[in-house]
Amino acid sequence: MTVREGFEREKKITRRRFLKILSNMGLVGTATALSGCSSEEIGGQGWLPEQYNVAGAWPTQVRGRVPIDPASPSVVRNDEKCVLCGQCLEVCQNIQSVFGYYELPVINDFVCVNCGQCILWCPTSSITEKHDTKKVKEALADPNKIVVAQTAPATRVGLGEEFALPAGTWVQGQQVAALRQLGFDKVFDTVFAADLTIMEEGTELIQRLTGKSNAPLPQLTSCCPGWIKFCEYYYPDLIPNLSSAKSPQQMFGAMVKTYYAKANHIDPKKIFSVSIMPCTAKKFEAQRPEFNSAGEYWKNENIRDVDAVLTTRELANLIKKAGIDLTQLPEEDYDPMLGEGSGAGLIFGNTGGVMEAAIRTAYFFLTGKESPKSVFNLKAVRGLNGVKEAEVNIPDWGVLRIAVVHGLKDARTVMEAIRRGTAPYDFVEIMACPGGCISGGGQPRTAVPPSDEVRRKRIASIYAKDTSYMVRESHENREVLALYENFLEHPLSHISHKLLHTQYTSRAEMLKAKEMV
Amino acid sequence: MTKKWSFKLTPTRKILIALVIMSLILAIYRLATGLGISTNLNDKWPWGLWIGFDLTAVALAGAGYSICFLVHVLHIERFKIIARRALLFSFLGYIFVLATLILEIGRWDNFWRPFISWGIHSPMFEVYMCISVYTFIQLIEFAEIFVQKFSLTWYRRIEKVMPVVVILGALLPFGHQASLGAIYLIVPHKLHPLWWSSLLPWFFLITSFFVGPAIGAIEALWSGKIFNSNVNIKILRSLIRISGGIMVAYLALKVFDLINRNAFQYLFTGGLESSMFLLEMVAGIILPVVICFSPWGTTKTGMVTFGILTVSGVVLRGQDIPLPVLNGE
Amino acid sequence: MSKAVLVDVTKCVGCGGCTVACKMWNDLEFDKSMPSHSENPKLTSKNWTTVTYQKVNKGGKQVWRFVKEQCLHCEDPACASVCFSKAIKKTPQGPVVYYPNLCVGCRYCMVACPFDIPKYQWEKVLPSITKCQMCVTKIKKGEAPACTSVCPTNALTFGDRDKLLAFAKKKIENGDKYIKHIYGEKEAGGTNWFYISDVSFKELGFPTNIPKEPLPHYTHEYLKLTPTVFIGGGALFTALSIYTRRRNEIAKEKEGK
Repeated sequence: MTVREGFEREKKITRRRFLKILSNMGLVGTATALSGCSSEEIGGQGWLPEQYNVAGAWPTQVRGRVPIDPASPSVVRNDEKCVLCGQCLEVCQNIQSVFGYYELPVINDFVCVNCGQCILWCPTSSITEKHDTKKVKEALADPNKIVVAQTAPATRVGLGEEFALPAGTWVQGQQVAALRQLGFDKVFDTVFAADLTIMEEGTELIQRLTGKSNAPLPQLTSCCPGWIKFCEYYYPDLIPNLSSAKSPQQMFGAMVKTYYAKANHIDPKKIFSVSIMPCTAKKFEAQRPEFNSAGEYWKNENIRDVDAVLTTRELANLIKKAGIDLTQLPEEDYDPMLGEGSGAGLIFGNTGGVMEAAIRTAYFFLTGKESPKSVFNLKAVRGLNGVKEAEVNIPDWGVLRIAVVHGLKDARTVMEAIRRGTAPYDFVEIMACPGGCISGGGQPRTAVPPSDEVRRKRIASIYAKDTSYMVRESHENREVLALYENFLEHPLSHISHKLLHTQYTSRAEMLKAKEMV
Repeated sequence: MTKKWSFKLTPTRKILIALVIMSLILAIYRLATGLGISTNLNDKWPWGLWIGFDLTAVALAGAGYSICFLVHVLHIERFKIIARRALLFSFLGYIFVLATLILEIGRWDNFWRPFISWGIHSPMFEVYMCISVYTFIQLIEFAEIFVQKFSLTWYRRIEKVMPVVVILGALLPFGHQASLGAIYLIVPHKLHPLWWSSLLPWFFLITSFFVGPAIGAIEALWSGKIFNSNVNIKILRSLIRISGGIMVAYLALKVFDLINRNAFQYLFTGGLESSMFLLEMVAGIILPVVICFSPWGTTKTGMVTFGILTVSGVVLRGQDIPLPVLNGE
Repeated sequence: MSKAVLVDVTKCVGCGGCTVACKMWNDLEFDKSMPSHSENPKLTSKNWTTVTYQKVNKGGKQVWRFVKEQCLHCEDPACASVCFSKAIKKTPQGPVVYYPNLCVGCRYCMVACPFDIPKYQWEKVLPSITKCQMCVTKIKKGEAPACTSVCPTNALTFGDRDKLLAFAKKKIENGDKYIKHIYGEKEAGGTNWFYISDVSFKELGFPTNIPKEPLPHYTHEYLKLTPTVFIGGGALFTALSIYTRRRNEIAKEKEGK
């Protein structure tokens, strides 16, 4: 039957249609119904989105939705709110290149990199992060727990949006104040840990560049857990290229329960470590079994490096529920020892930031000289182009070829080139979310789907602060230097290997990746 | 003849009245809340134990028709004396079944639909139609007895149609008793192989036929005691003999069926099903047959025991058959 | 032309979108205690279709498979045949459709269904049977059923029964990806929903003891005798009645003499 015929048939008054009309006519209708002539089938009283009301099973651009693991630590979906608009699929497949890039049948996993972009694209908030606020509230209410917080670089330019401030508003101080009011005993900065990451990862890069390490080039950044899982799924052969340095969140987690606990004579078992992240993959990362370095350090399996991860949205929710108006709070400073952050660590929050921070320090490490102005404004790696390439000339050493990628589909392009051996890079930064952490799956849903306009505003806010900072290089962070002096000895020392580095495992057995053409 | 009607509140009657009131309350509760809460039925047990009671009740209420068949079709005059009692018993039984069914169906307000919308491919349709018409027939049969006392004209009129009524009254129950068995024909994979057989309708039919005289006998003996109107024990003896004879035939058919379907192997597997089946056959068929044809079977106690065993066998079967069906295994 | 749906179990990723589409289109309630897709979902009066996350063994390895369950829309449906008020009918388009206004509520269909599909609104005062209608109103308009139209991986294919069956046959015969069995081709005499899979249907939790013969045949063998029995029986009884009465009369007359 053609569509046209279908329409014509609809117009005809069939017996059923006649009775349908009749049954709407009060007394007569009742009589029809009672006499047993009414024959209305059950069901079909609802609706479906327009794209599905077509003749036959036509292919459409967006159809259905992404599978979500019911046991996922990062994302959950409320079916009741789902309208099958297909947007989650759109972002997962066409921007992140996760869905649709593995062969069917599936093996034993709901393939997901936990990036949470589907949350940002979901128009009805059917998909959300898996809430951990209850866990945090319980810890806050427990007088025996010392609850410490770390705040990621990107949350301070997003949190304000949840309180009706313009996109990208800087609320670092207010965030610290709010956390203290919520009952956190200590508030520290992940930017500190980002500086620490640069010290380790930068040193590692130099070892690779100078041939002191056998690890292959290009070195790939490893601070984005979404990207890490993507690499474990689709590019297990390139795992050796990943920097062994943990992400800032996990470095911080390890430090607060070892270095900080020791120095302040605190029982590490009492510390409840919460991280405030713009990210849902961080929830997954914190649960990776291998991330219990503090536990190994203290020989106590129960100690996890990070106990709970809250997204920016969850924090906003906590603040609102506590009746605190973020906009009216005074600006407060982070607690000392793990609270200082340089401009280099701060720019970790957006795409290109890790690269720029690493260059600033690598330049110093390679040349022993102060980095020149140009390195403090690496235009080539800034902005929202998917793949950004640059060459940095380092005197007495040579040219460092770098690339910055954000969004996993673009990452795929670069990774394919690396796999083929046609990529000329020494160092590549990869972030799973387009725009980097400032537009992570845990950030406020200011525009749905997230717009480049909002991304740019958040990024501008971060770079503006970087420019205003006195300390803009990780190796000049005094608290980081103190940490090395008093605890870690030097980058890539035996102890830092134990606490700050990790290994990745192939997930190739969990899926069969499609051959890329 | 004109004994004055009186109603004494004996303890038994008190209990019975209490029961009736309780049932009424439960019935209202069921109608007001739906089936789920009041019966604990669910998707896994769509019929529950209820259907067992229905099957049993219909089979037992069938007592009327087998005796009526003997009396009115075969004109065995000596049984005429218990025919009316059996008819009353049967009539009350059918009314009970109808009341139960009304409570049991989900859309009791729709009970009349099948009269208009004929689902002739369903054995249930045959059961429905037969029971409806048969109850009406019974009403006429009963009316004959009733109007006898009031209006001779009406009595004459009814008497004229009685031959037809009687034939129908004997024929219809044949139909629905068999169809009750046919209900289970469609679930060969759900029923235990000991019970499922393409002969199920015939088993049900034969059962209802032999349980009739058994019930009739018990009823005659008991009501005889209570109302002091003894029936000649010889009549009951021959009635029971008929029952016993049919049971022998039933047993033979059962054995033939088991062999024929190669289901003998399930008989001694020791599971719940096989034990229930054995119990049903031994206590409900073989024992009564033995009693029936033994000298003890001619005493009143013997006859009552025969009756009780036979009826229990039918009750048991009523529960056994649907059990695995509803279990969904 | 009878319509059908082919379910390719190997293509399902377990998103559960089909179960949501079903609820949306049929306006069914969501019940948190009865999820429509999970490791152990249940068909209920609110879940007309479910997706079960099934861990199965494939080549010594434990793998996930996702099994969609709904009415299979038999070619010769037991439920429709046992419905004594014709509240369930097989439509020429394929769907087996339930008309609640005609239903008496005997639940015989629930007992008769070989796949245990029909469910009941136990909590309602005047309840209905519920089951997948294969979106018959959509099919009549030439549209695909709700669940099939939203499937992102084409695990569900909608089309003409003959063509789909041929398509499925070709698929399973090509290579050794699939096991050589189309579930629904012969089960219960054939259905309008087929399944193909790479692991055995038994392991996926499908009922495998379903007779290949259409179930209504079993009752038909009996019911076809009805007219004969009634007419024949009526005649026989009448004859018997007349004969025995006459015999009694003669006996009486003899006694009288």
